[in-house]
Amino acid sequence: MDRLSYVGRRLLQMVPVALGVTILVFFMVHLIPGDPARTMLGARATDQAVAQLRHEWGLDRPLMEQYWLFMKRLAQGDLGDSLFYDTPVLSLIFERVWPTVWLLAYATVLALLISVPLATLAATRKDGSVDQLVRAIPLFGLGMPPFWIGIVLILLLGLRVPLFPVGGYGDYFLGHLYSMFLPGLTVALFLTPILIRSLRASLLTVLESDYITTARSKGIPEWQVLLRHAVRNAIISTVTVLGVNIAFLIGGTLVVEKVFALPGIGALMVDSIFNRDFPVVQGVTLVFAVLVVLVYLITDVVHSLLDPRVRYER
Amino acid sequence: MTTRENEEMPSTEASEAVHGSFVHDRFGRREFLRRGAVLGAAVGLSGPALVSLVSCGPSGSESSGKGGNLIIARTAESEGMDKTMVFDNESIWIFLQMYETLYTVAPDGKKVLPYLAESYELSKDKKEYTFHLRKGVTFHNGKEMTSEDVKFSIDEARNTKGGWEFIDAAIDSVEAPDPTTVIIKTKYKWAPLLADIACFNNGIIPKDYAGKSKEEFYKAPIGTGPFKWDHWDKGKEVKLVRYPDYWQKGKPSLNSATWTLVPDDSTRSVQVQGGQADVDEFPPFSSIQKLKNTPGVVMKLFPSTRTDYMVLNHRVKPLDDVHVSRAISYAVDRKALIESVLFGYGEPANSFMPPQVRYYDPDAPGLQFDPDKARQEMSRSSVPDGFNIEMTVEAGNDTQTSTAQIIQQQLKQIGIDVKLQQLDPSVAQTNVQEFKYEIGFSYWTMDIADPDELVSFAVDPTSGSHSFFTDYKNEDVIKWTHEAQEEFDDSKRAELYSKIQSQAAEDAFMVFLYYSDFTYLYSNKVKGFKVYPTGNYHLEEVTLEA
Repeated sequence: MDRLSYVGRRLLQMVPVALGVTILVFFMVHLIPGDPARTMLGARATDQAVAQLRHEWGLDRPLMEQYWLFMKRLAQGDLGDSLFYDTPVLSLIFERVWPTVWLLAYATVLALLISVPLATLAATRKDGSVDQLVRAIPLFGLGMPPFWIGIVLILLLGLRVPLFPVGGYGDYFLGHLYSMFLPGLTVALFLTPILIRSLRASLLTVLESDYITTARSKGIPEWQVLLRHAVRNAIISTVTVLGVNIAFLIGGTLVVEKVFALPGIGALMVDSIFNRDFPVVQGVTLVFAVLVVLVYLITDVVHSLLDPRVRYER
Repeated sequence: MTTRENEEMPSTEASEAVHGSFVHDRFGRREFLRRGAVLGAAVGLSGPALVSLVSCGPSGSESSGKGGNLIIARTAESEGMDKTMVFDNESIWIFLQMYETLYTVAPDGKKVLPYLAESYELSKDKKEYTFHLRKGVTFHNGKEMTSEDVKFSIDEARNTKGGWEFIDAAIDSVEAPDPTTVIIKTKYKWAPLLADIACFNNGIIPKDYAGKSKEEFYKAPIGTGPFKWDHWDKGKEVKLVRYPDYWQKGKPSLNSATWTLVPDDSTRSVQVQGGQADVDEFPPFSSIQKLKNTPGVVMKLFPSTRTDYMVLNHRVKPLDDVHVSRAISYAVDRKALIESVLFGYGEPANSFMPPQVRYYDPDAPGLQFDPDKARQEMSRSSVPDGFNIEMTVEAGNDTQTSTAQIIQQQLKQIGIDVKLQQLDPSVAQTNVQEFKYEIGFSYWTMDIADPDELVSFAVDPTSGSHSFFTDYKNEDVIKWTHEAQEEFDDSKRAELYSKIQSQAAEDAFMVFLYYSDFTYLYSNKVKGFKVYPTGNYHLEEVTLEA
């Protein structure tokens, strides 16, 4: 099977996964107590007002009928309207998903930029003091909660030495690149320890392989041996680790989004749950499901690019 | 007909209004915000003062202003710009920069002042108000405001269902006999009318939504205010820009105002310190001391109408026993609460009415901490040996959780064993409103410059809110509430409201906890920023130094 049809197949498989997620989420959000109409109107509202708003939103219809309507609209690519913002869920999500995607992509790049050199350095100096340091220091990063790292970065690089803006998403590509550096770094610092440990371990195994000895004996410069032969092979397992963690971070970037005032989708999700904004919760969950599947798919594709031995099978 | 001049209303009119709204704490910082409301307020300029300003003021709005874009970092997103339907402060405080009312709340929150109307007359039977509109007021689309627009706006406000129409319940009809005159007839004698008219839901918008559908209109609304609509990136920012033909010549000074969403307390304050934002809405009480000593910024506490309560469900035994509720009120050490929860920045409440509302009685005998009296009341009650009770707390609301834990300890001293029940905020609110609770928490901030809205909500079970959802009924208190609504004599009204506050305090139907301020941090480049007790601010008064 070639790569393209594999990707097509995997994308098709996404449909039942996403459907399953919609069913679960639809019924779960309706099962939890709490009423969006009451939440929106507040305590001053009369029972009639609440009932009227529920009727307007179609919340007084049987649950099965509501689900049917939801699916019917979904089939036409319509996720319904947000109860609170009174705008189409799809456009709301479209606006809010980019900061999160940006954050994750930025963090991934930063994490790789930090991890690969450090892990390589550590692996080539096994058990030396540099190795010990590289293994120990990132563990602090793992031990500290992201929101705290975020606040420290803001105080250091936003206020003390005002190099970066304190929160915000920025405008246009360069603006995003500049504004998102601190949040990107915060998430990257969470990923780095895991990546370094995983990459270092597999590098150590790879560096002992026969083909590395062969390469060295051919007189290839050491940096070429490392980069072309060792790192490329060692990084495959790290890509898997990275993929799993990024998938976990989708929706888990909420805290970082809040600290850095990013209009991301994690924040939208939590606010919508508190407001019982059912259509948004459903829509965002669907998008999360799709994103997670996509990240896994990208991980697999990257695998095959790095290692031609990886075959696509049914 | 009695003629009323432009100046502030004679006190006999009793027409100061400020609405209140009742809100259950939500999560974290939102607790301040949900439904309090706001009113356009008067800038401190009454009619004649305005005239003089117009005549000798600068020729163009540019010349007086230094310009600048004010950035307000706020805690939560707005819900919408529909003035008749939206209940959250984060929306109201923004749309009040665009919509203005005939009368507006004065800076002290206790009076109303002429605004889009210059004066009014009240008929002898006290059921017909004739308003004379200010001339030369234009909407953001350049069209002049007329009485037809006023009629449309107030009719829209009172005919909406499920919103703020209860504010206008006393209005019988609105007429527009000529372009600068509006006549409002009330169904019965109704003292709080001017206060009601000053409520934001009665803000003036163009007739027939300037030819748009209602939905379209409120997506990019227009009014007569100092700022006009620019854009709203949901979850990120709302931006308004200066309206150059604003009727108060020379204002506003700012080129624009942008409200950015920065939910994290620490990030907001650092943004102001670092110059990325100009105003930080609601720094937490815990940070006040430190921010007061931070150079380059101003940490300010503005008197608010926020009053926090612990509500007791009278449908649950033994909370219907007055000795039990009095015992609970006596047992709560408010000073200790203020010290630990508000870091000292608050005052114990002696009434269900806040000091910033007219007819607040500083001598109202709200029960204060007295362990001996608490035990005496318990011994006279139906449950002298104590009882078990459940307290509903909103999960994730740290302030409420600490408050509940402290009160739990204090009630234990008089034999009341409190179990805390943490619930998702939406569920906690719904449960209280449906009487599925035993003890809960709530608070109020005023919407209008008259106590009537709060008083009806708090002690008149017929008003639909069942006395703050406690089901407290005292026939005398209810009767006085209705009398006060029809009483135009100021001193008589004051007397009635004192009696109401006094009796409600004696009945201790809920525990009046404390009054607290609005906390704001802003850059020292910001001048003229003032938050009214109703929570709103007038950005046309604000300048930003370069």
